[in-house]
Amino acid sequence: MDAQEEEKTIEIALAGNANVGKSVIFNALTGLNQSVGNWPGKTVERAEGTLFYKGYKIRVIDLPGIYSLSVYSMEEIVTRDYISSRNADFVINVIDASALERNLFFTFQLMEMEAPLIIALNQIDFAEKKGIKINVEKLSDLLGVPVFPTVAIRGTGIDNILNFIIDVKEKKKEFKPAKIEYGKEVEEAINLILEKLREYKLKITKYYPERWVAIKLLEQDEQITQRVSEEENGSDIVTFAEKIAKNLEEIHGEPSWMVLSSERYSKANRIATEVEHFERRPKKSKSEILEEVTGGPKLGLITLIMVMVAIFYGVFTFGAFLEDLLTTYMDMFMEYTRGVLSDILGHFGSALIVDGLIGGIASGIAVAIPYILTFYLIISFLEDSGYLPRAAFVIDSFMHKIGLHGKAFIPMIISFGCNVPAIAGTRIMETRRERLIAAMLSVMVPCSATTVVILGIVAKFIGILPALGLYLLDIILIIVLGKILYRWLPGEGTGLIMEIPPYKLPSIKNVVIKAWVNIKEFLMIALPVIGLGSVFLEFLYVTNYIEVFSMIFNPLIVGILHLPEQATVPLILGILRKEMTLILIAEAFGTTNLALVMTPVQMIVFTAVTMIYIPCIATIAALIKEFGWKISLAMTIITILLAVFVGAILTAILPLFLG
Amino acid sequence: MNRPMKGPIGGSFGSGAVALTALSPGQSGVVFQILGGRGKVQRLIDLGLVPGTRITVIRSAAFGGPIEISVRGTNLAIGRGIASRILVIPG
Repeated sequence: MDAQEEEKTIEIALAGNANVGKSVIFNALTGLNQSVGNWPGKTVERAEGTLFYKGYKIRVIDLPGIYSLSVYSMEEIVTRDYISSRNADFVINVIDASALERNLFFTFQLMEMEAPLIIALNQIDFAEKKGIKINVEKLSDLLGVPVFPTVAIRGTGIDNILNFIIDVKEKKKEFKPAKIEYGKEVEEAINLILEKLREYKLKITKYYPERWVAIKLLEQDEQITQRVSEEENGSDIVTFAEKIAKNLEEIHGEPSWMVLSSERYSKANRIATEVEHFERRPKKSKSEILEEVTGGPKLGLITLIMVMVAIFYGVFTFGAFLEDLLTTYMDMFMEYTRGVLSDILGHFGSALIVDGLIGGIASGIAVAIPYILTFYLIISFLEDSGYLPRAAFVIDSFMHKIGLHGKAFIPMIISFGCNVPAIAGTRIMETRRERLIAAMLSVMVPCSATTVVILGIVAKFIGILPALGLYLLDIILIIVLGKILYRWLPGEGTGLIMEIPPYKLPSIKNVVIKAWVNIKEFLMIALPVIGLGSVFLEFLYVTNYIEVFSMIFNPLIVGILHLPEQATVPLILGILRKEMTLILIAEAFGTTNLALVMTPVQMIVFTAVTMIYIPCIATIAALIKEFGWKISLAMTIITILLAVFVGAILTAILPLFLG
Repeated sequence: MNRPMKGPIGGSFGSGAVALTALSPGQSGVVFQILGGRGKVQRLIDLGLVPGTRITVIRSAAFGGPIEISVRGTNLAIGRGIASRILVIPG
């Protein structure tokens, strides 16, 4: 990159608590021009985008929404490392004007890191609705940081921030990162450690601001203390800092880190009190009725059930409509390419490409777009409105029964649409242990493709009650599996700690962008594996090698599960996408009326096996990306064993009921 | 972490502290102490539950579910197990 170009590039980062509208600002800045990946070596989402403004190329990094930099989560580590890397020309701290005090607590920690800070005082309209008016100038003076009021959802105020940044870059405005000072006792303690640090000239102060290192040593921060003690003479400083911390502890009667947190909060409280002006007590409003209906002890559960039913109804009616539309065009396209390609490549080659590659990807899209997009739109809407935390709140006690807590409900409900995004969704859980349990249980949830099979076989040919029975069976399996994992996996469970943000009317633009970004991520994981897998299986099919697989699996499928021979190939190919089992078994029998060729017991067992066995290939890819191949393999084997076990039991006991 | 801690706002709260779970919706209290290891306590402190902070219980979920409290202008849901380790002085 030449110097001129470099001058015209700016990197900004968005930092702030969760639920402050940070992602709305990110979307407003970058639109569809964004990509989602992982932070290097971490399973923490990294969203990045670019925008062009007044001749500048501005790179925008959306840092994870967190409440502190005390490093009790990977999100906090990532943020700390990024801020200290000094890559950002500006760090925009998005804060919620209606919860100033809690937000300032985090702002102070960014100031401790001497980040080049600008504040976006967001949701200023919402704060006013709550009766809070904020003196923006005074806030800016007290902090020594430029503050810009914004209403991200309407895009208001964002231009002012960009203009300010450009002005600073073109040296029309002066800009110096502000510093923060605490009370006298704490400052004295910090300064004592600081002097010692300067004296010893440690390497760590090249990576981090020295005052920040001093604060972290005083707080007995594990990561920083460890790094300092590894340096030459470092342990002297650690011992010294311990002494100072002990001293502070004795004065206050609480650990030094708690003294500092108290300092930050009392400073936050003082500043908030000075700049906030309460105009009137907010009166009981519509939102309070909404709170009762969605969060109340009994009412909340009823609402949750109704919302879930509505989601399914919406997904399957609107999804089916979209699917019809798409498959018509896909079929036309496939027939056309088959005609063209069979002239060039012959029957064998065109089968591989058309039925394998194109067919695989095309039906991947036909399934993905209609159901998953519809599902994403609904979930994004519920997420932005603030309903999901309420759902997690009312379902928490149930989730404890399966070894998790309320937050795990969110990936699990996403699983009903598609397991792939649910795997990444398990990141909201606090520990790896809980992410594992949540992922294993999410994989067990019947996704939209599985639901198509349940509806298309059991509900259609036997009745709705046995179909619901299968769902019930699945829920029981999830509960049992959850209990077993909870007991067996090392470590202990954590409880629920979660913010309940106020209800908001989501911006449609933001919901659509979010759904689009998610779909893009899904397609990037799913399409390559579905495409390649389809080609491979089509190859087995065309060359008749599939017979070999049939011979291997026949004893299991015919012998143990008492299914007809024709079920073997569909169950093998079902690994690509589960609804293939339904399509292929109809093909294998040459009739769509399965009732003519299978007994009710066989249909139920076939569907149950489809529902439980092996996550589809896209889910396996997502699992590998998130947890590595060993755990993915273990989960795959568990589901296969479980499917055979349940299938065998159903084969044995169902005839007693169905005659 | 087992030694008793004094609240930062003057005087000592010798007695009268109860678990947060003992408060019913609508009742308020002042955080006195949080029991547990640093990691768990720090998460709650980061969210504003510094000893001496005033909180109000908004609602509690059915079947031994979490408790929703209001603290520093925000609402938090806290699982019952954790809530039972947060000691508050009612009133």
